Amino acid sequence: MRAGMTRRELLAVMAAAGAAGTVARTSSAWAAVSELVWATWDSNGHPEYVVDFEKQTGTKIKLSYLSSEDAQFAALKTGSAADWDMINPSLNGSWRYIKAGLLKELDLSKIPNASLMYDVFKTTKKAQNEAGKTFAIPYLWGLNPIIYRTDKFDKEPDYNTLFDAKYSGQLAMRDYALESIAIAGLVAGVPRDKVFTMDAKELGEAKKLLVAQKPHLRTYWQTIGDLTNLFATGEVTCAFSWRVPYDELKGKLPVGMAKPKAGVMGWCDCFAMPANLPAEKAEIAYKFVNYLLGPEYSTQVARVGHYATTSSVIRNKLTKEEQATIFIDDMDVMKNFMWPVAPDNYSDWLKIWNEVKAS
Amino acid sequence: MNPVLSRATLAVPVALLLIIGCVLPLALLLVFSFFTVDMDAFVMVPDFSGGNWLQMATKPIFGLLIGKAVLYGSVTAVLTACLGYPVALAIASLSRNAKSLAGVVLLTPLYTGEIVRIYAWRVLLGSEGLVNALLKGIGLIDEPLKFLLFTPFTTYLVLVYNTLPFMVLPIWISAELVDRRLIEAARDLGARPIEAFFKVTLPLTTPGLAVGLFAVFALAAGDMLTPSMLGGTSGSTPMALIDNLFGTAFDWPLASALALSLLMVLFGCASAMAWLLLRLKGARAVLQRGLQ
Repeated sequence: MRAGMTRRELLAVMAAAGAAGTVARTSSAWAAVSELVWATWDSNGHPEYVVDFEKQTGTKIKLSYLSSEDAQFAALKTGSAADWDMINPSLNGSWRYIKAGLLKELDLSKIPNASLMYDVFKTTKKAQNEAGKTFAIPYLWGLNPIIYRTDKFDKEPDYNTLFDAKYSGQLAMRDYALESIAIAGLVAGVPRDKVFTMDAKELGEAKKLLVAQKPHLRTYWQTIGDLTNLFATGEVTCAFSWRVPYDELKGKLPVGMAKPKAGVMGWCDCFAMPANLPAEKAEIAYKFVNYLLGPEYSTQVARVGHYATTSSVIRNKLTKEEQATIFIDDMDVMKNFMWPVAPDNYSDWLKIWNEVKAS
Repeated sequence: MNPVLSRATLAVPVALLLIIGCVLPLALLLVFSFFTVDMDAFVMVPDFSGGNWLQMATKPIFGLLIGKAVLYGSVTAVLTACLGYPVALAIASLSRNAKSLAGVVLLTPLYTGEIVRIYAWRVLLGSEGLVNALLKGIGLIDEPLKFLLFTPFTTYLVLVYNTLPFMVLPIWISAELVDRRLIEAARDLGARPIEAFFKVTLPLTTPGLAVGLFAVFALAAGDMLTPSMLGGTSGSTPMALIDNLFGTAFDWPLASALALSLLMVLFGCASAMAWLLLRLKGARAVLQRGLQ
């Protein structure tokens, strides 16, 4: 396998050298195929997750961990991420990368495992431009549930619980306009498919609820480590959350995870290539995204990281408990998905959110 | 060459660096503030209608947040001055060895990262924290005191704690430079200790106090982490909004206008403070003497 790759690399180098006619171009192309830089979250890209790919192809995956999605977008937009070969936009945020022309159009015929994706991801329009061309491949997903102390609540909480004076002083919301205003919108009765495009009147209703909620909150949480600490120290007993505090505190505290019927906030990470990625690198990058949707990565990330890929490839090989851990035991959950998408007037949302916080 | 002039030239490289590092980004912010975002093409385009500045002037939320930053800065500066001044004078009157020790102790909190200190405060002030446990243990309270954490009280307490060394150090240095013979002369001429303090010590330490006030005001007004992680639901800051506008909202023009507005207000406050302090005789006397 290693020798085969070397020949291909050599051919690629010769082709590149022929086209450019310079020695410098030759060395650059060689380096390109022997290593790819993947900008991703540390939780998605543990070195052991990509070892199998490196063995199969002989191409080293150099991991470049992201600090935030905004930083990733800014780095691409300003051209300061020239060494990134593969990037990690969120499904919800892909549209702005596509609009800004930062992504390479993808040829799905080069990703055979894409056919194994769950329908909700396979059919999503969020990774396409208006002409229906695909620019990103959803590969990893999860849910943002409500985490609560099972010893403090008689029944499973829902979004209304987060606004209930009965639990005053024990609740927390994320300091994040998009999700918090959307949750208030749901409580105000806005349907989940309209909640991220609320009109001024609906936003006003959501704001009223959030202002009324404020005295009942212990605090707004900033990072997931922050919220885990709030649960661990007994400051908070119920919060809109990510699943991390549940994994961290299970066994130490009586904690539960609720998936509200009104709509479950989902997150999904995508694979994409920068628009100017050279063709020889793109060929290997196609193999890599195929690997992300294949059995090796899916198994590793499910068993080590407790995350599900968008591919059904290993679902039937997991135990019921392993399926439940990554939310794929009951596929009906996908019917309640909500994908938080920052609307065009997100600055107005931010103003409302800051008005709530300053009230 | 005039020796004062030649000494001043030593500062030129650093001054140039500061100008480039400060003026250029500010100029960029000013230019950005006259742009708008075309959300369809997802690019910034020039817009000289001044819409972002109009929003600054007409939307109360921006003024409110900037006002909060000024309040954090000024209240913290006054509190640390009241607490730090006696500490600085006390240190100045210690023996040489004790002074060295005091200096190390004073700066110890700064050796730990801010985030470590924030979580330490949570352990100390939380509902199940040390303070509440102690008060419960000695029977003073039945229920934990919730106001200790996630309230404006916490924000100010921690801001004062974090910035106290920046107040104490310059006052201490100023106090070291006061000629003790002047205080003795005042006492010999019949001034009571309190009069000697107000007529000699305080005026001559005004420059240190001024430096402390400026430093603490700037640090506290610009702090985002302490209010947001310890101030609870009251911990909003203009910095957090600027961060969000530059980030997810991709509204760099509005963020630029807000950042510049904040800067102008803070600069105005600092200038007013400087003007007031320079009207004091002691500060003028010390500053005019300079490094001869």
